[in-house]
Amino acid sequence: MAIIVEGGCPNPSTDRTLRSMFEDRKSVFVDLLKWDLPVLDGRFELDGFDDRHATYLIVAGEDGDHLGSARLLPTTRPHILDSLFAGLCAAPPPTGPEVMEITRFCLSRRHNAMRRRRTRDRLVSALASYALETGIRTYTGVAELGWLQQILAFGWDCRPLGVPARLDCGTVGALAIEIRPDTPELLAANGIWDLADAPPLPVRQAA
Amino acid sequence: MESEEALAGALADVACDLGFRYFALTHHVDLHQTSAAIRIHNYPDGWAHWFDEQALGLTDPVHRASNVTSVGFAWSKLPEMIALTPQDQRILELARKEGIGEGFTVPAHVPGEAHGSCSFACVTGEPLSEQNLSLLQLVGAFAFEAARRMRRNRLSQGPVQLTDRQREVVMWAARGKSDWEIAKVLGVSEATVGEHLRHAYERYGVGKRTQVAVHALFDGTIGFLDVLRR
Repeated sequence: MAIIVEGGCPNPSTDRTLRSMFEDRKSVFVDLLKWDLPVLDGRFELDGFDDRHATYLIVAGEDGDHLGSARLLPTTRPHILDSLFAGLCAAPPPTGPEVMEITRFCLSRRHNAMRRRRTRDRLVSALASYALETGIRTYTGVAELGWLQQILAFGWDCRPLGVPARLDCGTVGALAIEIRPDTPELLAANGIWDLADAPPLPVRQAA
Repeated sequence: MESEEALAGALADVACDLGFRYFALTHHVDLHQTSAAIRIHNYPDGWAHWFDEQALGLTDPVHRASNVTSVGFAWSKLPEMIALTPQDQRILELARKEGIGEGFTVPAHVPGEAHGSCSFACVTGEPLSEQNLSLLQLVGAFAFEAARRMRRNRLSQGPVQLTDRQREVVMWAARGKSDWEIAKVLGVSEATVGEHLRHAYERYGVGKRTQVAVHALFDGTIGFLDVLRR
């Protein structure tokens, strides 16, 4: 099940899916990757960008638990690439109403490699399909190098925005991904495209 | 980028611009066995030939080291990354004699496929220029992906794909469980487990459970954590 939450950051404690998403984000980004991020109530990873402008794409299990998610930030206002990682771009990064930034791409650690890979495929497919449905033409993002190689290997159209840099959180680079009508085909050629059990995506409006 | 020749030309140009005489983009597999593997390089002929004769693709110390990191590394750092055997020392010494000196390797790990890397090397005696190493990381990553796409277009079939059930059975086999034990864990018959394993053997073209486990670990179909988890 793929869920889209538009219109900003919901209260993490009100909903099982969101609660487990913010918990998994803490487990991945704070506990595993050791990023220096704020933690709410010792359980949830939430930062200043989890505000009313954020959109969440969430893949959830049948029980409602979070399996994987990504946070999309509009590039028409301050976002991560232009504020925290501006140095990674050789030229000003693409911005505008048709450009969204992918942040906090997160796969739950509560599942094994097979399940995570399936979740990853569904999340990447949901990202492409959401972009096609809503008129997003470009995704931007920052990735650690190992992850960057995987993003390239999904088969979609990627280009670097600058030279990677070695920072405290690892060696990271900025990327742009162009989403076009043939993107699902490109993802399918790499065995990534997977919307099998997710017909029309239910859109939930955050309270 | 349309052809391996075009990619090789572009890589040679970039390597040269950044102060490197040689480049080598390769999958870490025994090239005797796998015709589908990528290998593009401009190493001296004698070296490449000797390397293949010895079937060193898998045991090359640089390749081994690139399996323990996702970030590029200078070859001078090898002793800090892996335990170098006398054979490794010999390979590095032979390379130096062939004119391949200090180098920088960018690992390329794509889950579900054989690992690979893109290396850049200086002529023996020349120093590694530090200033462009970040750029090399990017060149390596994109070059590997370009080569990977060319290779996929050449092949009619994609990477080996196991069904979820086959992967599960292979994972338990990799943990050292017998067919009978796996059958108990999954709640199916021993014959069914045997059947799944046999299909997994066929897909990898191997005949033993240890081989299928190694292949599945190597290409990322199952993860080390899945196997080592208690």
